Amino acid sequence: MTTYTTVGKPIPRVEGTHKVTGNSTYAADVQLPGMLHCKLLRSPYAHAKIVSIDTTKAAAHAGVERIVTADDLPEFEARYMSNRAYNLLAGEEVVFHGQPVAAVLATDATAAEEALELIDAVYEELPAVFDPLDAMRDDAPPARAPVGEIDRSESKGHVTVEVEEEQSDKPSNVVSQTKFSRGDVEAGFAESDVVVERTWRSAMMHQGYIEPHATVASYDPISEELTIWTATQGQFFVRDQISRMLRIPETKIRVIGTELGGGFGGKIFLTQSLAAVLTRITSRPVKLVFSRSDDLVGANPAGQCVVDLKTGMKNDGTVTALQTKVIYNSGAYPGAPVVIGAILIGGYYKFPNLEIEACEVLTNKVSVGAIRAPGAHNVTLAIESQMDMMARELERDPLDVRMQNAVEAGDEMPSKAVYSSIGLKECLKAVQDSEIWRDRNERPATPGKRRGVGIAVGGWLGGLQPAGAHVELNGDGTLNVIVGSNDITGTNTSFAQIVAEELAVPLDMVNVVTGDTKTAPFAGMSAGSKTLFTVGRAVKAAAEDVRSQLLGVAAERLQAKVEELEWKDGVISVGGDAEKSIKFRQLAGITTGFGAQYPPVIGRGAISARQQAPGFTAQVAEVEVDEETGEVTLLRWGIAQDAGFAINPLSVAGQMQGGATQGMGIALWEEMLHDEGGRLINDGLLDYRMPTALDVPNIETYIVEVPSEDGPYGARGVGEPSIIPGAAAVGNAIEDAIGVRVAEAPFTPERILRAMGKI
Amino acid sequence: MRVRIRVRYNAPHMRRFDYFAPTSVEEAVSLLQERGDGARLLAGGTDLLVQMKEAGVHPSAVVSLHAVDELRGISDESDGGLRIGARTLMNDVAAHETVRGAYTALAEGAGVLGSTQTRNMATIGGNIANAAPSADTAPPLAVFDAEAEIAGPGGTRTLPVIELFSGPGSTTLETAEVITAFRLPAVPDHTGSAYQRHTPRKTMDIATVGVSVKLTLADDGSIGDAAICLGAVAPTVIRAGEAERALAGETPSDELFASAGELAQAAASPISDVRGSAEFRRYLIGVMTRRCLGIALERAQA
Ligand SMILES: Cc1cc2nc3c(=O)[nH]c(=O)nc-3n(C[C@H](O)[C@H](O)[C@H](O)COP(=O)(O)OP(=O)(O)OC[C@H]3O[C@@H](n4cnc5c(N)ncnc54)[C@H](O)[C@@H]3O)c2cc1C
Repeated sequence: MTTYTTVGKPIPRVEGTHKVTGNSTYAADVQLPGMLHCKLLRSPYAHAKIVSIDTTKAAAHAGVERIVTADDLPEFEARYMSNRAYNLLAGEEVVFHGQPVAAVLATDATAAEEALELIDAVYEELPAVFDPLDAMRDDAPPARAPVGEIDRSESKGHVTVEVEEEQSDKPSNVVSQTKFSRGDVEAGFAESDVVVERTWRSAMMHQGYIEPHATVASYDPISEELTIWTATQGQFFVRDQISRMLRIPETKIRVIGTELGGGFGGKIFLTQSLAAVLTRITSRPVKLVFSRSDDLVGANPAGQCVVDLKTGMKNDGTVTALQTKVIYNSGAYPGAPVVIGAILIGGYYKFPNLEIEACEVLTNKVSVGAIRAPGAHNVTLAIESQMDMMARELERDPLDVRMQNAVEAGDEMPSKAVYSSIGLKECLKAVQDSEIWRDRNERPATPGKRRGVGIAVGGWLGGLQPAGAHVELNGDGTLNVIVGSNDITGTNTSFAQIVAEELAVPLDMVNVVTGDTKTAPFAGMSAGSKTLFTVGRAVKAAAEDVRSQLLGVAAERLQAKVEELEWKDGVISVGGDAEKSIKFRQLAGITTGFGAQYPPVIGRGAISARQQAPGFTAQVAEVEVDEETGEVTLLRWGIAQDAGFAINPLSVAGQMQGGATQGMGIALWEEMLHDEGGRLINDGLLDYRMPTALDVPNIETYIVEVPSEDGPYGARGVGEPSIIPGAAAVGNAIEDAIGVRVAEAPFTPERILRAMGKI
Repeated sequence: MRVRIRVRYNAPHMRRFDYFAPTSVEEAVSLLQERGDGARLLAGGTDLLVQMKEAGVHPSAVVSLHAVDELRGISDESDGGLRIGARTLMNDVAAHETVRGAYTALAEGAGVLGSTQTRNMATIGGNIANAAPSADTAPPLAVFDAEAEIAGPGGTRTLPVIELFSGPGSTTLETAEVITAFRLPAVPDHTGSAYQRHTPRKTMDIATVGVSVKLTLADDGSIGDAAICLGAVAPTVIRAGEAERALAGETPSDELFASAGELAQAAASPISDVRGSAEFRRYLIGVMTRRCLGIALERAQA
């Protein structure tokens, strides 16, 4: 086994102190001379025709410089108009409650707010549809004028799948669908000893990042250059999209991805296009910052999902057949994670027969974006609940049946793609060994309550995208690393570890910076659990390049062959001879100083990524249920996750705990609630409930390391899997406690009491 | 259908206002009188500032009570009761020895409100004057038959706390009146009380249902006097009079408490909202009233 000095060690995040002491600069902190503040007037209706918008009074309000409506906007190519980001302000039709219809630009934010109250907008309400099942009926009103060709450029950043959705050709709210099949499901069910069939629902939820969307854009009409400071997970993606939209060459766009207060898939491309257009219209810098309510009403949350699932198992515990229809509510614009949901629901176990249908349906709700493992928690709730229900029916151990049927390297996914090395079984084993699972039948419940333990697994295939990195040697022997990926999870800390490891220097000699889109080498968006997996490889390659350049210089200087050189403790010598040696620092001097004879050392790393490294997790939840009030208390939680190789175990554990906590939120609290008119009624963090520190138990982490084939040191993506199985694990624990199954998440006390027949 | 609407937009930003920091109740009252309806009192600000930022409340004058020392503190009354200044902080109410011992339900109500940070700002007077049906100290004050001391342009008056409320967010206080204190009558021996609330989250949440109960036992162990007050299930907090009467004179038992729970359910007129359906609220009243009675009984017997 290789032993490492820096990678594999727990290292606190390099930018952590800045963040917790309030010294980071976020997009909303950017102030420019002459800057205008933008506030958006949002539609009070979910579906309506805009009859007129009268801005006369508002335009006369003190401080207001300009009011922009759809009439003032440039026209974009029709083929892009299925993309929410191109629909900057509603023109003829509003298609969700909260859709922006006018933008007020004023010298201060208060004046802009006040002016919003002075705009007169006249609407004609149109029939609206909110539930995906309603929207699928033949007689359902159309949620909106038909979308053209579907532009999926963003969703490809989150996961790489070879399959394309089929678009519907006749006008319908169902805009795309996917089908997979294997074997003969009828025959499979016929030979089953138990068949379970249920409908599972999971709610529309918000990613819950702490920093609402924010962008400052500034256009210089003389150089025709556009600069954008923004909270995004993918600055190059923003640049490419803006370039395509506004037909500006990429050389003229500088996107500066500022420090991020979380993203979880929800911070890709939303406010940047409008801010860019507004600064071009006014030739003044424009700041567009969402309030919490703006963000809950009008960002891009994760969609609601309905899953009809039928599964079968034989007496000996082997799975036989799976038949399912997965329905994602994508809101008013397409973009739901149809294909990935279809793959994952049949992708955890070796079902010999399956028939999977998945579709996305348009409704008059805000359109959805990605979330940590988009689409995965919804389908996992269904399959992981039914695995438990079948095991229970057959009186088999729920962990054993999972182990018995779990997929391994070489197995096919429903899409016929083949798994590379994966660690699903190893994760199950780690949970099996945990104390929470081992003593599950021994711990007594608090008087008046019932205790239960549940498990569930989840997996994520991961995204792929090429990436580059630069490593440069400074005159004092320290190293600058330049990447283009936006750091949301501690990736820059791990990159520093990689460079320190490769060049055998202490960690504090390495400084990693995320450059902007004009200065940094290309990187994909920080999404799809791929940043360390791809950019990390580029960083490693760049460090290796530095190493070989330094060896070249040393060899020439010491008049030796590269093969004769030894690299130890910052000294390069010929076979360990102290007389014939040169220090790292001296090498830096002779490659940068006045009259230096050697060229500066600039390492370059550029990689393509072709082979995914799916990441699996298994989780165990211990709960207590108050049978009289329906309240669920989380007592203990364990999460096993395959990290391939944990370059920074502290970051990996943090990702595991963070995702597990979001999973708990999905299980028990998080739900965007709408009235009959489709208006969000919990548009604040009091009633859109995310768990607090008192609601979350201690989370034990078990890092599993099954090396990936391509990742640096065998690492694989760790960002997403942790969120996936929480709801299923809690549902299974609730059934273990009280013998009742709740089929709709979140499992609120009210839903539990209804399932128990108490109300 | 053609609907013409003038879009009402609640500006989350505060507007300009004049700010005053009087040092006596008298001065506060005269400032309020001078500025009329546009003036608002400010205690801890944990309700008012949120309303000014997010709910379109735009007072023209804010009169802060922070420098009015006489409004702060808890003292024993000569008749054995307790006087709690309106500007006393929730954490001080919750930690006070007499409150915890004799008025346990009030300590529980004050102790669950918001978070530690909230309770270090929030005052008991603000909680009552804000008149939310879910206010956590209202049901406990009501079961102890607390009275509010009120100072106004015409002098001072007292009023049972429960009579202060006239609807969600509205009180029977007149313009320029200030609540100065709450007076809690002495508690007889063999009295026990409790406050419980249901919230979806463990903390940082608002009651879906709140129930407070006070029981005083007679020498033979039967119930001498019972008080039940419900929060968040009607436009104001309400006493469950029928349930109270059904308990008086009876020997405590599980069945008795269960039937008192049912009577309490009948007293409520809950609504369905973002925190729960009317059905769910009504159901919870039964369970929680029964449970609170059990806890109060144990405390009365201790
Ligand atoms: C994060 C958070 C959590 C919260 N959680 C809870 C909770 O769990 N339970 C709960 O009940 N509440 C909760 N609240 C609401 C609030 O904290 C309480 O109602 C608090 O007691 C209000 O007191 P205050 O001193 O801050 O009042 P302020 O905001 O200063 O005033 C509230 C209102 O009362 C008036 N007022 C204040 N003092 C007087 C007086 N002496 N005489 C007449 N009128 C007066 C003011 O003009 C204003 O209209 C929460 C608030 C926040 C911000």
